[in-house]
Amino acid sequence: MKFGIFFELSVPRPFRDGIEKRVFDHALEQARVADELGFDWVWAVEHHFLEEYSHCSAPELVLTAVAMQTERIRVGHGAVVCVPEMNHPIRVAERAATLDILSNGRLELGTARSSTWTELGGFGANPDETKKTWDEYVRALPQLFAPGHTRWPGRCFDMPERNVLPKPIQQPHPPLWVTVTSPGTELDGADRGIGCLGVAAASYAEQERRTREYHRRIQSCNPVSSVVNDQVTTLNFLYCHEDPKRAASTGMRMVGMFGLANSHLLWTREAFPTRAYQSLANLAPSGTSAGNPADPYGIPEGICVGDPGRVVAAIRRWESIGVDGINFLLNGMETIPQAEVLASLRLFAREVMPQFEKRDVPARARTRA
Amino acid sequence: MIVGSARVEDLAAGSPRIAGFGAGPVRLPGAEVLQVMFEMPVSAREAVVPPALHPTNPALCVILAWRCPESPWGPFSLAQVRAQTRSGLRPRGFVTGAVCDNQRAADALAADFGFPARGGEVLLRRAYDAAWLEVAAGGHRILALEGMDPEPLLPVDVHYSVTLTLAETPRGPRLVQVEPDYAVERAERLRPRLLSFHPEAWGDRRLDPYFAVSASVASAEIRIPPVRFVCRPDVLAFEGTESV
Repeated sequence: MKFGIFFELSVPRPFRDGIEKRVFDHALEQARVADELGFDWVWAVEHHFLEEYSHCSAPELVLTAVAMQTERIRVGHGAVVCVPEMNHPIRVAERAATLDILSNGRLELGTARSSTWTELGGFGANPDETKKTWDEYVRALPQLFAPGHTRWPGRCFDMPERNVLPKPIQQPHPPLWVTVTSPGTELDGADRGIGCLGVAAASYAEQERRTREYHRRIQSCNPVSSVVNDQVTTLNFLYCHEDPKRAASTGMRMVGMFGLANSHLLWTREAFPTRAYQSLANLAPSGTSAGNPADPYGIPEGICVGDPGRVVAAIRRWESIGVDGINFLLNGMETIPQAEVLASLRLFAREVMPQFEKRDVPARARTRA
Repeated sequence: MIVGSARVEDLAAGSPRIAGFGAGPVRLPGAEVLQVMFEMPVSAREAVVPPALHPTNPALCVILAWRCPESPWGPFSLAQVRAQTRSGLRPRGFVTGAVCDNQRAADALAADFGFPARGGEVLLRRAYDAAWLEVAAGGHRILALEGMDPEPLLPVDVHYSVTLTLAETPRGPRLVQVEPDYAVERAERLRPRLLSFHPEAWGDRRLDPYFAVSASVASAEIRIPPVRFVCRPDVLAFEGTESV
């Protein structure tokens, strides 16, 4: 089991001077501590215009800063939006290769297509097109990373022979992922031989079904590259404290605030009827607002909030259904003071991490030729 | 989180009066439903909704029209203007104004469900190449728009948010949650163009649908069930929601 931390960089109102700086500084400190503690990944989303929910519009810069301040932890785009109005595919390849060099081969490259009208509408992107452009980017990127000149006669971009520079350290390229919000996208990832970066909470049963189907499908995939990344990760919250009551009250306040901010996003489907977006939201119910009568503190199934024993039990269950890694949101809307976030991380590393098999191999060792 | 800042007293002035919540269900077979979405300026997003609700980012102004050939009150057409919001976690359309071309239907929709429906002319036309909506009230045209180039959608592709109206009720002023169910048989997406819009006639001069987002037209059976929930307009929905 691998563990990562996941940055949305949510900034609560009022937007006073310095609050964004404080959120960014906290994130960088969390990344440094996570690196020291043995976490495997730090991921940063790409979102635009999402007031409060996420101010992480330039993740390549955030991840560069993380890479410069850490030694070992892998840095992940969670994920680059593969929509030409936002990111030209050549620029995606150039920036990714640069970040791979600067991080000394620690980049994970997630791909996505944006879920909100707020973002797509702001850039003038056509929601009908985003699945198509994502698919073309995913096929093109391995070629743009390849040594020497290449040409790309495509639908969303057309490039005559050029040598896209620089080239990444990791060969043939950093591991590719797709963020999975809508059910079924994990199968798109499986069919293309790329990893499944879950960014929406799902119940144990739902995640087990998706993971099983992903692993079945990827066995017969038509990979976009010479390597296959067959890892499945999920997104979770983390707040760990020795006192279960305090863990629940603090952790669930974060979960609730994040869920509220998430529910206020203007999903594409709500504003623009299209076949291309089937989900009206992305944070599945089991993880967020619904209480759990079976839990003494009402913590929903699978959520990593609680004392170390409860968190270990939740992760054991995720592990048993075939999940390879869990990425954690450590804070939401700055509801938890930074000192407590770091204490939670340290307690997790001390009491929870050792309970799980440590894989010291880099992620790409799990790829197969 | 951003919340509405409209004064409840201002919103409630002239709002419909609901004597009780027993009405419904109401069945409206064979309806045509036109929904058009526009972005509104950020300066209006908080000003047009009550403190119970959270505006969306960006602020959305939704024009929703029904043409109903059958109803308990005879054929009618209804046009609503709504601000898209969240009530707690849930998407909701807050009705700022409505016009109905059948006085019996207008009275019933107001008395049973809180629609602020004034009398007027509502003309919803649908053709193979376009759809049009024109609304007049008080002798003036207050809305005209067209949707061009229909593209087929599946029935599941169109989404209608639950409606919130503001009414005077036995409990005092309340946001009334009206939950029409749309059994969509055929749907198309359109490219909208707003031809005229008079914001004062739809409840607030700050309503400014300046940026067209999308439009859809659908054939559906609409069923309005009895009201289940109301909400105090002056406090957040987490605190103010009440079952009836």
